[in-house]
Amino acid sequence: MPHLSRRSFVVLTAGVATLGAAGCARDDRPDELEAPWTAARADAALATAAAGAFPDAAARLTPVADARRTHAEALAIEIRRARPDRAEVLDAPPPAVGNPSSAADAVAALTRSLGAARDAGAALAVTTARYRAGLVASVAASCAGWAEALAS
Amino acid sequence: MSAPVPDSDGAPAAAQAALGAEHAAVWCCGLATAFLPASAAQPLADAALAHRQRRDALVARLEASGEQPVPAAAAYATPRPVTDAASAAALLVTAEDDVAGAWRALLERTDDRDLRTTGVEAMTAATTVGRRWRILAGVTPTVPSLPGSAPA
Repeated sequence: MPHLSRRSFVVLTAGVATLGAAGCARDDRPDELEAPWTAARADAALATAAAGAFPDAAARLTPVADARRTHAEALAIEIRRARPDRAEVLDAPPPAVGNPSSAADAVAALTRSLGAARDAGAALAVTTARYRAGLVASVAASCAGWAEALAS
Repeated sequence: MSAPVPDSDGAPAAAQAALGAEHAAVWCCGLATAFLPASAAQPLADAALAHRQRRDALVARLEASGEQPVPAAAAYATPRPVTDAASAAALLVTAEDDVAGAWRALLERTDDRDLRTTGVEAMTAATTVGRRWRILAGVTPTVPSLPGSAPA
């Protein structure tokens, strides 16, 4: 049986301590689905507010609000399952939404935001865990479709 | 040169299913050309080309892993009779939804970045192209909230 010198014991112990610290640091990091969840929730709030403020645009904006709400719910379910420690973030009240100045401004802002969600989601779907790849790709594809719908 | 399909957790079977969906979509695009208005000819040709390219990529990858790629059927049974532009567009909606579902299943069974990237592109195209066919078929919403999921 190999004998550890005092020196290597110290090195080993330091290594374990470093590992432990890294482990804790990793646990404090947000789940990678929190960013798409935040974006989905913000889009749903903006589309809902704009549809209420501008009835003429409601027919265009309400389906976007519904889709983004569905995205936020599906992402939140997965975050809760994988990271019960992040429930606090999910349960915090959403930031207040400013009233959009016009229907056109709201549509333009949502089109930009959906395009960004499409691109970020397409990238994350390539690198994330297998069991999340389908959900992330599905949300990205839906955002691509709604971005085109609003832009047309 | 094509890398083989990773032989893990059902990836080859899922790749075969995606290939089957791409074969069917190519066939559906061919049938629909006879019924869709001239204004849809270019988007339909673009969609058919994208399906053939993904079909060929899957065939190459399956062959590289020593798998026998599933062949196309001579003809496919359509869920409903195709008699006009609306019913042809409805068939294309079904074909694109099947493609999205098959690629979503493959995404969840592989870590291969190329396959994941192709899969996200396939799901995105199925959703944006599918939006056009949903409009022609009179289906709302024109974009599914979670493409590739079994219909609720």
